[in-house]
Amino acid sequence: MTVTRPQSTTSAAPPRATPAVPPSSPSRPSRTRLVHLHLSARLSIALVSLVGLASFLWPLLVTPGSGLDDAATAPLILAALLPLFVVVVLAEIARGGFDVKAIAMLGVLSAVGAVLRPLGAGTAGLETVFFLIILAGRVYGPGFGFVLGSTTLLGSALLTGGVGPWLPFQMMAAAWVGLGAGLLPRLRGRAEIGMLVAYGIVAALAYGLLMNFSFWPFAVGLETQLSYEAGAPVVENLQRFVLFTLVTSLGWDIGRAVTNSLAILLVGPAVLSALRRIARRAAFDRAPTPADSA
Amino acid sequence: MATTRSSLSTLANATFAALPRPLHPAAWWGWALSLAVVASVTTNPLLLLLIVAVLVLVVTSRRGDSPFARAFRYYLVLGGVIIAIRVVLHILVGLKTGTILLFSLPELELPSWAAGITLGGPVYLEGLLRAMVEGLRLATIIACIGAANALANPKRLLRAFPGALHDIGTALVVAVSVAPQLAESVVRVMRARTLRGDHRRGLRGLRHIAIPVLHDTLERSIQLAASMDARGYGRRDHATPAAERVTTALTLGGLVVAMLGLYGVFTTVGFSVLSWPLLAAGLLVTWAGLRRAGRLVRRTAYRPDPWAAPEWLTVVSGMVVVAAVLAVRRSTPDALTMPLEPLGWPALPPLAVLGLLVAAAPAVLTPPPRTARAVPRTREPQEVAA
Repeated sequence: MTVTRPQSTTSAAPPRATPAVPPSSPSRPSRTRLVHLHLSARLSIALVSLVGLASFLWPLLVTPGSGLDDAATAPLILAALLPLFVVVVLAEIARGGFDVKAIAMLGVLSAVGAVLRPLGAGTAGLETVFFLIILAGRVYGPGFGFVLGSTTLLGSALLTGGVGPWLPFQMMAAAWVGLGAGLLPRLRGRAEIGMLVAYGIVAALAYGLLMNFSFWPFAVGLETQLSYEAGAPVVENLQRFVLFTLVTSLGWDIGRAVTNSLAILLVGPAVLSALRRIARRAAFDRAPTPADSA
Repeated sequence: MATTRSSLSTLANATFAALPRPLHPAAWWGWALSLAVVASVTTNPLLLLLIVAVLVLVVTSRRGDSPFARAFRYYLVLGGVIIAIRVVLHILVGLKTGTILLFSLPELELPSWAAGITLGGPVYLEGLLRAMVEGLRLATIIACIGAANALANPKRLLRAFPGALHDIGTALVVAVSVAPQLAESVVRVMRARTLRGDHRRGLRGLRHIAIPVLHDTLERSIQLAASMDARGYGRRDHATPAAERVTTALTLGGLVVAMLGLYGVFTTVGFSVLSWPLLAAGLLVTWAGLRRAGRLVRRTAYRPDPWAAPEWLTVVSGMVVVAAVLAVRRSTPDALTMPLEPLGWPALPPLAVLGLLVAAAPAVLTPPPRTARAVPRTREPQEVAA
């Protein structure tokens, strides 16, 4: 149900913000793409995602005697390299697809996420930021979701002074969460909420596993039976990893999945309609034409 | 009168401790990352503790009074937690080596589906010390990054972003600036609820606050977009298609080369000698592409942060300690490690200690930060005019 109300004088909406799709016909809402992903941006997302995946899963891939065969320095080298790759992909997305509305929306939603995040921190797995990244990625498209995932975590780290070697990994994983939410198939109504809840559970568990992979060599070092062994069969290393996960963080990951799905279930419909309403009001889809300013 | 004043100020400038001003954030990051590099090449606990001492000294004397400046202690706590995790994991599942038996736990062998791990067993002093020293090294690196967080103002760091990242940087500045306004929005919505006589509590009540706050915030984002649009944010010059193609080729080509290099770093197959140079070359080419893209963003800085003598001093003091420790590693590599087999007292290489003393110099030789108490606060430049 769309509430049409008179546009206030303070609103941003100069005449061009009148909706491209009249709000009275919401039966077939067009998909909004707040951040346009041009071809080279897509390619660089794919390439950098490969690099990112390798930086998470390197204990499974590394061979003994290679440049990274050292548990003490390898995670730090990767933590120094990964931000460079993340910067490249963000700059590449920004090169073609950003307008000022996307910047403002990114900033505001990152702020909301950054404020929500400390609410749950420290309480077993109560992760209060993912549902927002998922819902915004869903409404504003994969490009926006990708950027929002990384800026939310970076913004929250800057606000609370939480920058550390873990940050690039968190940014990468959260960017994937937003990207995936934008790529989900078209559904509406209850089916959409059901799909988002399911996605929320999967995304939260996958995020937890990935962050564990990045934390694993950090936390245990080389000299325990839970440590990875360079060059050992993948199954053997996976076995140790699963044990490490069971011991350290499974409770947190399940907690994150539960909070995530509950948040989507409870406030999801309202948040989705709020985001869609603003998308219609600001006419995010349309690039301003000369006729608008005339 | 005027002459005495100006000569006084030149004198003050000469000793660097002139007017209170925040140092360029990149200088602090450079300094802290140098110390992190030093920490990563040594397991000598004396040197590691000295690094932490230098960090604490500089942070306590040169941090501002913003909330992120107070976060340093949490990084120290986190370091303590890391050491504790390492020790507990060593006692439970560590590969125990050594000769000096401390105590013995009952052993429990897990079945083969659980990777055949043995829990417990004898705990030796050497193994325990190794776990502690490794943990201490990681904790020191974390403390270095915490020091950079406490000393460098993140908003000013975002202003130093390269042109290609200007849009993302702007979004982050918006995020950091808008966050405190959310509290005000919450207060407004709650007042409106009270006036309406709405006293629902619990989850339902929460929803009736959260959704209006979200609407309010989203409305604000459109207003913000309009005012930023009016001020020329988010505009770029248009490049010719040919120039655009060159930029794309540089960025993506560099990315591919860097990935090949990274692959070489991971594995020993083929071109492992070339892998680091390949990685560096790829990143350089990508950087060139980003610079080309960044030139299309025209921007001006209001009151740009100066890069003057104190900044140089800070960065160079970090480089000095890196050079000193690398020199020690060339001449007496044993001095940088904790002697475990046989157990001994760690050495204290004088050159490294001297280098760390130099790294502590920013604690006295840089201008003090502006704090609310010390100086009547001059108006901070507004980051986003909206």
